Amino acid sequence: MWLPLIGLIVGLAVGFLLDWRVPQEYSSYLSIALLAGLDTIFGGIRSFLERTFNVRIFMSGFFFNTLFAAGLAFIGGFLGIDLYLAAIVAFGVRLFNNLAVIRRIVLSRWINQQE
Amino acid sequence: MLQKSRKITFILAIISAIIGVMLAVQLRSSLHPVHKESRSIAELRTTLQKELEKHKNLLADISKYNQLYYQYETSLSEDESISVMKEELERNRRLAGMVEVEGEGIVLQVVDAPVPQEPILDEHMQVPVVREYTIDDEDLRWLVNILFANGAQAISINEQRLVATSAIRNVGDVIQIDTRTIKPPYEIKALGEPEVLLSALKLEGVEENFRLANKKVLAEKRDKLLIAANKEPRVIQFMKPVKEKGDS
Repeated sequence: MWLPLIGLIVGLAVGFLLDWRVPQEYSSYLSIALLAGLDTIFGGIRSFLERTFNVRIFMSGFFFNTLFAAGLAFIGGFLGIDLYLAAIVAFGVRLFNNLAVIRRIVLSRWINQQE
Repeated sequence: MLQKSRKITFILAIISAIIGVMLAVQLRSSLHPVHKESRSIAELRTTLQKELEKHKNLLADISKYNQLYYQYETSLSEDESISVMKEELERNRRLAGMVEVEGEGIVLQVVDAPVPQEPILDEHMQVPVVREYTIDDEDLRWLVNILFANGAQAISINEQRLVATSAIRNVGDVIQIDTRTIKPPYEIKALGEPEVLLSALKLEGVEENFRLANKKVLAEKRDKLLIAANKEPRVIQFMKPVKEKGDS
């Protein structure tokens, strides 16, 4: 259960140690990819709590979402369409949705446990 | 089942590691952004406006300092003219005898001759009268005139500096120069070419002349002779400069 957390910490450490820096004009793509990744993770947690978790869906969701979000935003930049805004809105809404669902599930479980 | 769950955890760990790397990179780049131009046109325009304003101010500063520099320069040249004026004033004061001067010259001392040599004189009006016969203003005027005529630049009699308006006259028994009384022994200092002055004195027969008055003139060359300034307060009363046309 703790392995994902350890993975997160290791990833953070590696990222800081590698000292990569993304140029400012590409940082928005990275942020969108990051947002998509977070959304996928929360979606995974939600599906785990709803007991509909599927590793394949989760993995494909993670990679596809991040890559497509970044890629679409990039293409949108070329076309003059601010697609990254759409991605941010979509992922943001989904993220908060997922969070709300997770909160409700956790709360109802806690209340159930109390009773 | 257990293996499957472990596999899932592993995958989750890898994914969270990827997320961690992304987070770290994002944090890094947003905390210390690589500087590229990302400001909007409007922002750039206002910045440009500000810089132009600054530029204008700096230009104004430059022109101000240039002006100041110019002023200093002109005042500097004024200073120069002031120094020229000072020099001229100094020269005039020296010529007018208002400052102490020194240089080559001679000192004449008019002293009593040791003893009247001719015994014949003894029978006449004796020593007192002859002795009382002092040199008068005329003798001194004559002497001074000789000295001036032979290029003496400054003359003083008993430290009384002679100037252009100096008068030597008898007042009663004593000689006054201007309004100051001088008493024998007379010491005359003159700045000038010593040889010229001495030979002029000889030529004019000064010694013989003074011998008649039972005096002796001791002449002495000096390499460094100090002549005091004229201390008389002088008032300009009856003369005004005539302004000529074209004079500024």
